Amino acid sequence: METVLSGLATGFGVALDPFNLFLVLVGCFAGTLIGALPGLGPINGVAILLPIAYSLGFGPESALILLAGIYYGAEYGGRISSILLNVPGDAGAVMTTLDGNPMARSGNAGRALSLSAVASFVGGTFAVILLSLFAPILAAFAVTFSPADYVALMVFAFASLASLVGKSTVKTLLGALIGLMLATIGIDANTGIPRYTFGVPDILAGIDFLIVVVGLFGMAELLTLVEQQVSGQLKSLPVDKSFVRWADLARTKWTIARSSMIGFFIGILPGTGASVASAVAYGTEKRISDTEGTFGTGDVRGLAAPEAANNAAAGGAMVPMLTLGIPGSGTTAILLGALLMFNIQPGPMMFSQRPEVAWGLIASMYIGNVALLVINLPLVGLFARMLTIPQKYLTPMIAILAFIGIYTIVGNPFDLLMITGLGVFGWFLRKMDFSLAPVILGFVLGALFENNLRRALSISGGDWWILVGNYKSIVLYLLAILVVALPIYLGRRARRMEGDAVSAEDAHRP
Amino acid sequence: MADRIFAGVLLLVTLAYSVIAFTTIKAPFQYDPLGPESWPRILSIVAIICLLVILWKPDTDKLDVAGQTWFRLAATVVLLVAYSELYEPLGFILATILFGTVLSAMLGASVLRAIIFGFAAGIGGYLLCAVLLDLNLPEGEIFETLFERAPAEQPASAEGAS
Repeated sequence: METVLSGLATGFGVALDPFNLFLVLVGCFAGTLIGALPGLGPINGVAILLPIAYSLGFGPESALILLAGIYYGAEYGGRISSILLNVPGDAGAVMTTLDGNPMARSGNAGRALSLSAVASFVGGTFAVILLSLFAPILAAFAVTFSPADYVALMVFAFASLASLVGKSTVKTLLGALIGLMLATIGIDANTGIPRYTFGVPDILAGIDFLIVVVGLFGMAELLTLVEQQVSGQLKSLPVDKSFVRWADLARTKWTIARSSMIGFFIGILPGTGASVASAVAYGTEKRISDTEGTFGTGDVRGLAAPEAANNAAAGGAMVPMLTLGIPGSGTTAILLGALLMFNIQPGPMMFSQRPEVAWGLIASMYIGNVALLVINLPLVGLFARMLTIPQKYLTPMIAILAFIGIYTIVGNPFDLLMITGLGVFGWFLRKMDFSLAPVILGFVLGALFENNLRRALSISGGDWWILVGNYKSIVLYLLAILVVALPIYLGRRARRMEGDAVSAEDAHRP
Repeated sequence: MADRIFAGVLLLVTLAYSVIAFTTIKAPFQYDPLGPESWPRILSIVAIICLLVILWKPDTDKLDVAGQTWFRLAATVVLLVAYSELYEPLGFILATILFGTVLSAMLGASVLRAIIFGFAAGIGGYLLCAVLLDLNLPEGEIFETLFERAPAEQPASAEGAS
């Protein structure tokens, strides 16, 4: 407890510095704007703005605070397009459309937006409080991890990724492998041997993390926008004067509490992010409280559940990222990459070696949550206007921003060609139903995974049994098997039960 | 079918990756049991297994992209490549004006509006990023050579190039 309090004191000291406070506000504002753009999810927003934030030349804690603000803001902004347009910005916002859009259509747009802002705030704050309690404990335990344990941890991370994310397990696994393989390009740090560089000097140091992120997310998103471009404008519902009522809050308080809990703990699992959390929270809430069958028609609880879970998961995903160096979602993988660019190795040692960064980030999340609530309630009309930017201008703007960001890193025009190429590759992956988060996770974790494996085997002198030589790694491998086997077993059982349920449901339908 | 083609292409790339891992990569001397080649070898074997599974049981039949959309996508990629190639020679302002105008016109903006958008993006973007945020954006080799003819400008342009 003492470490938590003194840590928070350090953190608020950093975050309340006027300049950093200003950055939190700017990040939240810019993030909400980007998140509100139709079809552009938080991960793409962070990806496009990351290189620009990096090139501004701030200290690591300031840059990270700015990025976290953008990430948080984008999660907030994403719900605006879900509610008003029925177009989710990313997978995590799909559940928000189910009840949010019907509410807006029945003339309660303002009420839906303000309620979801409150639910997001509670979920987010709840997660940050748990994060500041859990993170130091987990970090203190994780210090004792040996390289072999880290290998087991990675296997667990990829196993939970493969079983919980995306439609097909094999495709998710292959996506992670593609990321890991991309990470082997460049000079091997241990021996100085170039691998897969083919004599191209631009990639001797490896493909820059920012290039992979902007290419796979920003540019692939741009091509998707071009592909799906609809002629004419999307019809945005107007924001009216209605506002969240006390009755709504009283009605949703347990929903929000339950969903925040679910969101946080699902967010902690490595590899799973907001999308799984909001889906599980919505499903649970529907099972518990949907007695009148109003979910899906504009029920306030159906809107509050995924929103609270979504933001709680965003906080939960920070736990493994900060304490173990293993990101809990695609977006935290990007933040982790950002830390690495500043030469900060996230992981258990970060809390003792760079407390100002770790705790400054946590403290800025508290401030960011409050700031977002404050700027979101009155300014939602302004953000809603972002929805009406026509795609014919939005698409070139994304490209221009991405190019500015990448060019300003080192000023190498070859990088611009690389992001275009990676964008085409990412677009094909998306068309094939691959999700891109595993690719970026694999890319970020590639070096860590390989180095720990090699270190473990140097310790044992080449004996592979060291990988299962200790209770921690054995437990992690068992968890990995469990996380893969359980959904398959549950899916089989659900399908068997569904066989009866579907025929019964069909009889009910008119 | 689309799945199989994509997986087939990836398989070829992965096989090449694996061949390199098994033949070319070698450290002249090393003390560790695992050298630079071991990790790529492991990865390539697992990836080949995954690809064979996809080839065996594909689940995406068609890409579902209309012929016209393919054309629009290809044109976008060509524009992006052209933008990258012209970024340094023309400089940020000119390249962005061209790119913004052509792409927004292609996506359905009227010619006049596209031109207005292009100029706004080029000049506004430069003022915002290079002047206000002090980011490094190319000024354009053309202008530098133009300025170099005027002897008084020479030191300024040499500075700009560095």
